[in-house]
Amino acid sequence: MNRMAGEFWLEKWLISASIISRMSMVQAQHLHKAFGRFVAVKDASFNIEKGEIIGFLGPNGAGKTTTLKMLTGYLPPSAGTASIAGYDITDNPIEARRHIGYMPENVPLYDDMRVYEFLDYRARLKGICGRSVRQQVVRAIERCGLEVKRRSLIRTLSKGYRQRVGLADALLGEPDLLILDEPTNGLDPNQIRQIRELIHELSENHTVILSTHILSEVEMICNKVIIIDQGVIKAADTPENLTTSLRAAGRVTVEFKGALEPAMEALASIEAIKKVIHEASFDDGWHSLTLRAEPGTDTRERAATIIAELGYPLRHIYRHVPTLEDVFVEMTRRD
Amino acid sequence: MATPKLSDTTINHSTSYLRTVMTIFAREFRSFIATPFGWVILACAMGLQGFSLQTSLKVMSQATGEGLLFYMLNDMTFWFFYIFLFPLITMRLLAEEERMGTLEGLLTAPVTTAQIVLGKYLAAYAFYLLLWLPLLTYPMMSELANYYTLLRYDIVADGTIDYRLADWIGPYSILAFTGAFFVAMGLMCSAISGSQIISGIICTGLMITYYFASRVTELWGEFPAASIFHYISCTDQISSFSRGLIDTRPLVLYLSLTLMTLAITKRIIDYRRWRR
Repeated sequence: MNRMAGEFWLEKWLISASIISRMSMVQAQHLHKAFGRFVAVKDASFNIEKGEIIGFLGPNGAGKTTTLKMLTGYLPPSAGTASIAGYDITDNPIEARRHIGYMPENVPLYDDMRVYEFLDYRARLKGICGRSVRQQVVRAIERCGLEVKRRSLIRTLSKGYRQRVGLADALLGEPDLLILDEPTNGLDPNQIRQIRELIHELSENHTVILSTHILSEVEMICNKVIIIDQGVIKAADTPENLTTSLRAAGRVTVEFKGALEPAMEALASIEAIKKVIHEASFDDGWHSLTLRAEPGTDTRERAATIIAELGYPLRHIYRHVPTLEDVFVEMTRRD
Repeated sequence: MATPKLSDTTINHSTSYLRTVMTIFAREFRSFIATPFGWVILACAMGLQGFSLQTSLKVMSQATGEGLLFYMLNDMTFWFFYIFLFPLITMRLLAEEERMGTLEGLLTAPVTTAQIVLGKYLAAYAFYLLLWLPLLTYPMMSELANYYTLLRYDIVADGTIDYRLADWIGPYSILAFTGAFFVAMGLMCSAISGSQIISGIICTGLMITYYFASRVTELWGEFPAASIFHYISCTDQISSFSRGLIDTRPLVLYLSLTLMTLAITKRIIDYRRWRR
């Protein structure tokens, strides 16, 4: 018996040592999930480092929630596997779950319990015991601003408070990885801001995976974005890298007055410009052109000089700054 | 903010198997007694036990020798409520969790399916046993009624119910044995569906089936395989146990049936999660 316990601790130590060397919190390898004939997630592989805040993006029904449910061990994958903090979710699900704080979509809670009762129960369920239970519950209540509602029945709470109880539940036991499925869904702007600030604060000590379709939120707090569409991972990178590599990046709009053909020829001669597109001409002699340039280049100065050399007046020159929204639209567009 | 940093706090963790089971047990048992739900079942059960008592007192006043519970448990009225007790107690245990979505929270906590099944089963079983405790006060109440008639009408009523060990230990042990299996069966039905009503209906159906299987030999007489039906007959067992004839065969039967049913329940939960 003692020998076995010793081996167990040795194994645990070896695994944790290997985690420290790799610093990888989540490793998903070829995750695949099919419901009957419908394939929800196809061959999803990604890697999440310790301390990252991941924005998990995708249109409705893209497979976000399914992927997250697989990571938490709720849905067993049809094929492939993932490891959380070095523990495989299929071989060692209990140990993997110990490292996860999960807030499901729509936050299911026990309506007939009071807030502190519920959190106490959840803390014990997560294997916290002794004095730590109270300590953890109080801390979670404090962090989520639930002091006024701690004795309320969960049934009587508003949506915003329910959301906070769900978040407090996820925080119990200081898990290394927080998986939040649409944490700001259905909240008012003030509440969204509070939750966002809380997540930002949490990111100091936790790795966070955040699923949402509010892009501004992701731009504000996430340092890595995973975009999934129709079950396929389309991109996994920092928001900056995604926007600069976008086709729309570096596109310039020009409006000038003069002859169209020579101007278009002259502009096309600029090195970084791939194509000059005539958008519109107006009755008073003004023309609007779009210059498709290579991503990450700025051709405004040269374009302006060329127009000036031709002696045409220029009234508008604009370089398109791509946002995450452009990235999202380009990657998940159906046409 | 005054809250300590992560590194300052050490969290006591326990990986004890039973501690988690007890956590689930405590919440589940509490949901029986801290909500009207459990009290409604208790009131129902006690009211129907009253009916049962009323008819059995009639029989008891004519016959002699056996304890009160013998007449109560061998009466038809007993089966009327006994069958419906189990769906009532168990139908919501897992079906409600699934319907409300809280099963997801439960199954993503570091808890095994077996622990969940065990915790919930023990809570329902403990509540079931609780339902039989008020019966223990009947002899005291008969004593009180005797005093009352003496004071009020000046008549010495000698109709007492005794606390004879043989009258009580037999019926209570068979109720504990059969209940163990029937609660497990109800829990299994609760795992089958996300709807309490469907779970309740399936459980009632299985209960009635088992009841009729118990009376097969009465209906068909003796035939080659009749010994199987004698062996599983809960009506026969209840009638012999309530006479004070304690037998270990039903204990083995119901213990193994309970364990098997709980194992199936665990499989059903895992299977439903897998195909969802």
